[in-house]
Amino acid sequence: MSEQEIREGMLLAVWDEPPLDFDPDTLIKRVEQKKSRRRALVGVGVATAVIAVASFALPGLLPRDRGGQLASEGQTTSSTAPSEPAEKKAQRIGDKLAEKLALTMTNFKEVYAALRPNGFSYPPNLTSTAPRKPSDPELSGYVFLTDHIGPTSLRVQGMKGQFSTKDFCSSAVVCRNVQQNDGTTVIEAEFNEGGTEIARSEVVRQFPSGYYVTISSHNYNPASSSGLRQTVPVRVEVLTTLVTDPSIDWE
Amino acid sequence: MRKADEQGFREFAAANAASLRRTAYLFCGDWHTAEDLMQSSLMKMYMAWKRIKDLDNLIAYARKVLLRTWLDEKRRPWRRAEQRDGELPDAADATVDPDTTSAKLWARELVHTALLQVPPRQRAVLVLRYFEDLSVAEVAVAMGCTEGTVKSQTARGLATLRTIVEKLDSSSGRVAS
Repeated sequence: MSEQEIREGMLLAVWDEPPLDFDPDTLIKRVEQKKSRRRALVGVGVATAVIAVASFALPGLLPRDRGGQLASEGQTTSSTAPSEPAEKKAQRIGDKLAEKLALTMTNFKEVYAALRPNGFSYPPNLTSTAPRKPSDPELSGYVFLTDHIGPTSLRVQGMKGQFSTKDFCSSAVVCRNVQQNDGTTVIEAEFNEGGTEIARSEVVRQFPSGYYVTISSHNYNPASSSGLRQTVPVRVEVLTTLVTDPSIDWE
Repeated sequence: MRKADEQGFREFAAANAASLRRTAYLFCGDWHTAEDLMQSSLMKMYMAWKRIKDLDNLIAYARKVLLRTWLDEKRRPWRRAEQRDGELPDAADATVDPDTTSAKLWARELVHTALLQVPPRQRAVLVLRYFEDLSVAEVAVAMGCTEGTVKSQTARGLATLRTIVEKLDSSSGRVAS
């Protein structure tokens, strides 16, 4: 069998080929459909991958434990809640005292108060970080004023504990108890500290609960331990007016 | 794809579809499979048309794609081969010359029986060399092998085909030339 015979044989083998029903447009349409199917499949695959990745990644991005977060928020609120009203209460009492003093002593200028819960360290605007002792006052501060001599202040303290009138009055020039209608007791005392003039005027209001408030006036500025003067700027009558002001809720 | 490119592909496909189907038929021995192979090849070419449309010899590229498509199809383990249990007898054609009929029948038997028994790559070399009338170099390009491989495959393919044809001739009484 020669190569020529093979060549002729192959040509003869296709002589009875069936008619060709080929349409390029149909083929192009099939290819386009195949392409769109492939794109859709890729789209679905990408979407699935994105969802899968997101489902793994999102828990790391979102807050881990909503319950824990709420719990911690609650703790924060509960820890700060008691201090917030105490600060506000001290501020409110100070404002009232300054207002009352300004109304009572109209010759005073620049009357303002700085009261805060717990002990008031010197200088008054310094924030104390020392731990609170049982003997520390629950409320303390100063009511600042400026009279014809110059700037000075009244000391204010509120605390719970045993108060001895006897001890308090032992060195006083004048000391008297004034029973109030609301059940509280006001002790008024004035001291000359060995001098001829009153060096300290002080009133104490005792509450039945054991809480007592002290307002004192000195012949110096107790806020700065300076500004010595001949006598006190405010006498006990005015101090009693302040400590018994019904608009002030001391407890 | 741009309309101009699409039109270019349309013209190429319409002009070469029949030729490619004939080549595919000699590869696989079945007109239906041949048409599938031709269409698959043209689809592949359409998808790559933007890249290949400016090639110098597009029909050579098309033959290469057809050959690869057929070889890929043969290699697939899940390929569904049609189970044939006989052929329908052809209706008698009164216009046919009886002298040429025996030659045509023998040629068909050559394809259906002898050529299909030749191993695929040797068969491909024979079809490209003697049906498509390609040179050794062109067949080497289409097959993706060296010219030496084409020559050796051609020699082996011819030897295998001659052996099978001799067997067919001795069984049918025809004298091998």
